[in-house]
Amino acid sequence: MAAGPYNYSYIFKYIIIGDMGVGKSCLLHQFTEKKFMADCPHTIGVEFGTRIIEVSGQKIKLQIWDTAGQERFRAVTRSYYRGAAGALMVYDITRRSTYNHLSSWLTDARNLTNPNTVIFLIGNKSDLEAQRDVTYEEAKQFADENGLMFLECSAKTGDNVEDAFLDTAKKIYQNIQDGSLDLNAAESGVQHKPATPRNPINTDQAPIDKGCAC
Amino acid sequence: MTDRDGATTTDSASSSAANPLSRKLNKILETRLDNDKEMLESLKALSTFFNENSLRTRRNLRSDIERRSLSINEEFLQTFQGVKEQLDSVYADVKAMNDCCQDMTSRLKAAKEQTHDLISQTTKLHAESQKVQMKLQVADVFLDKFQLKPNEVKALRGNRDGSLSQEFFNSLNKVKTIHNDCKILLRTNQQTAGLEIMEAMALHQESAFERLYRWTQNECRTLTGDSPDISPMLCQSMEALQDRPVLFRYSLDEYGTARRTAVVRGLIDALTRGGPGGTPRPIELHSHDPLRYVGDMLAWLHQAAASEKEYVHSLLKKCAVTTEQVQDILGHITEGVCRPFKVRVEQVLVSEQDAVTLYKLNNLLKFYHNTIGQIVNKEASLLTTITEIQDLSHRMFFNSLNCHANKLLDKVELPPADLSTPAALSQTMQLLKDVLACHDASVVAIDDKKQDFKQILSCIVDPLVQMCSVSASRLNAIDMACYMINCIYIMQTTLSLYEFTDTRLEMLQAQVEAQLDTLVNEQAAMVLNRVGLAEAYKMVQAYQPKQGPLSSLQGMDAGTLKSAMMQFDSFLANPDALVLPQCSLILSARIRESIKKRSMELINESYRLLFDRIKNPANEYKEPQGIVPRTPDQVMKLLQY
Ligand SMILES: Nc1nc2c(ncn2[C@@H]2O[C@H](COP(=O)(O)OP(=O)(O)OP(=O)(O)O)[C@@H](O)[C@H]2O)c(=O)[nH]1
Ligand SMILES: [Mg+2]
Repeated sequence: MAAGPYNYSYIFKYIIIGDMGVGKSCLLHQFTEKKFMADCPHTIGVEFGTRIIEVSGQKIKLQIWDTAGQERFRAVTRSYYRGAAGALMVYDITRRSTYNHLSSWLTDARNLTNPNTVIFLIGNKSDLEAQRDVTYEEAKQFADENGLMFLECSAKTGDNVEDAFLDTAKKIYQNIQDGSLDLNAAESGVQHKPATPRNPINTDQAPIDKGCAC
Repeated sequence: MTDRDGATTTDSASSSAANPLSRKLNKILETRLDNDKEMLESLKALSTFFNENSLRTRRNLRSDIERRSLSINEEFLQTFQGVKEQLDSVYADVKAMNDCCQDMTSRLKAAKEQTHDLISQTTKLHAESQKVQMKLQVADVFLDKFQLKPNEVKALRGNRDGSLSQEFFNSLNKVKTIHNDCKILLRTNQQTAGLEIMEAMALHQESAFERLYRWTQNECRTLTGDSPDISPMLCQSMEALQDRPVLFRYSLDEYGTARRTAVVRGLIDALTRGGPGGTPRPIELHSHDPLRYVGDMLAWLHQAAASEKEYVHSLLKKCAVTTEQVQDILGHITEGVCRPFKVRVEQVLVSEQDAVTLYKLNNLLKFYHNTIGQIVNKEASLLTTITEIQDLSHRMFFNSLNCHANKLLDKVELPPADLSTPAALSQTMQLLKDVLACHDASVVAIDDKKQDFKQILSCIVDPLVQMCSVSASRLNAIDMACYMINCIYIMQTTLSLYEFTDTRLEMLQAQVEAQLDTLVNEQAAMVLNRVGLAEAYKMVQAYQPKQGPLSSLQGMDAGTLKSAMMQFDSFLANPDALVLPQCSLILSARIRESIKKRSMELINESYRLLFDRIKNPANEYKEPQGIVPRTPDQVMKLLQY
């Protein structure tokens, strides 16, 4: 049978965080649907999307949780950090305040995810060059100082969006390869699906409590 | 020419017929030797043997020629003898051949007659053979279409270890096709074959489905990992099992049970183990922080439900299932976590006393009821569990509010001397503010919010008003009115900051109005008393003409009235001097103003009544202008300053 879309070997969980209106939902939509949503309503709580990508010949399913940036949802969205393998932290290059809040977002991300979570900084709305309020250089420096990966993207034109999501996945995959990410640990944010066919009757697996022998 | 020659000859003959010699001569003369080839030849031949022209030779010439002719003829004869003999021999041969041919022809004819039967027989057989060939082909095609090949039968039996191969599915499909095609057979006159084949295929199908089900069941049982490894073959199995709804259902149940176990284990792990190296920390570590603890659990459940839904879809990607069926399994899968989840949240709720926290929990549960409700349907135990817990949190919240209210009524304190509001009131107002503020931070639908607000307000405001009334019960009417106005004023200012409080505010305003009336009357009465017009006013109000002219009544004489009016006039010079001392203790400047204004109006009304009566000639005052020098309108103007 041809390899269908479900035949992936890993699931990576992502979370997208950042102030309201920075374009988190648009980035997710651009990545999963390759379309720009011009009038996207504010996210209520959390939403999620998925897409299968390929990294080093491995099919990986990304399960991406898009959080609401509004302060009133903070208590709710904080609960979704756990178990994220990747965190995309977004600010809006045309609104300095969203950049200024990054350190608080970063603190949350560091405290609430696991130590191996890959944090990727995204400066969104790069298409609005004329309204730029945060330079590339200072954001790059912030990213370097905090050991974050960084790209400026545009959810509108799709510029760099693919790369941000893929680079995060590559980094996570690399962490798995060099053993720094332990897949067996619960809530690593990565789930492994063994691709090799299994023994049909797995004798070493104790039968589940259902005693039915129909 | 010959004809002419002939004619000539005839002519001469007629002339010289009598002379043969001349005839002969003529003939000789007429002979043209050079033209007579025969003659030339003869002469030439003659010259070969007539060598010497002698008499003897001449005499002998004729015999010589004859001899010679004889010999030649003899020779000729001899030669022809040979030819004849040869011809005779040829003739014999040809005759023999002819005979032979004749013989053969007759024999052939006989043979032909004999083989004619054979040939027609052969032709018949040939045609028959072709028909048989055709039938063979048809039979082959039929067998190919309606029977399994040995390797297919083998594939259908599966491997000894119970595993399945792609061939198994191919064969199973073929069996199905054959079985279906048999229905066409049944419509032809091949019914027996159709029935027999159908039966055979049904048997194949039964055993194959049993094998398939066993395999699927085992496969599903192993899917207890964090994320199940749903193989393409399992999807194919589910697709095939759709033909046996019962087995399909059982397999799904098996899958559901396995996933259910996995989800329960996942939750327990997240609660007690946390991430690698303890980060993120186990959820239970935050059990002292109810909102975080419950919120984390709910978020975890939300994510798990979303993932499980995806897995179900991937398992059934080749099947034609309804949303209901998917919801059914999803409900089954998420059922296991209900208990551990419920137990923990209930524990939090029953040990929590803070109304604000309880209300926040209630809102959180409402939010997740909505969020998770977008993934599982409302029949799912997970959702009903959340509903139950949400109801419990709602009850606990109102319990807590009622508790607070009861405490208020349990120990009612005396109002402070300055008639300011009691501490319990501001505390309760703060509680109300905190509770209502939760809504700003929550995500609950407006309708819910409205309903909640009503209930919260009646839970808090009614007992508060009651507490204030009880506390004020030992005060005099004026103090009580001031005190109540102050208390209600505080409530009003708080409530007016929030939505959906209009009706409440109206009710409170009505209570204020009642108190306000009391104070206005008291204020007006005090002024009339002080200036000595109270008695006169009372009498005027009660006066009836049959009592005679007003001026004749006791205490209504011009002198008494005049002196009272003079005192009233001095009051008019400085109206603020005669104010109820309690009124200044009223917190609201607006209310203070209103009391002043309305009491002045009342006083003016009283004056107008007195004025009208005194001016009325029927009351027989001699010099009314001297008693009431100012018109009511003038008084009004003075009172307004
Ligand atoms: N020009 C431009 N506009 C963008 C881009 N990305 C998002 N927007 C606009 O920014 C607004 C907010 O985008 P959202 O994706 O809803 O923002 P969000 O971060 O999800 O907001 P919350 O859900 O409230 O947290 C929308 O009106 C988008 O059209 C971009 O790359 N370029
Ligand atoms: Mg959004």
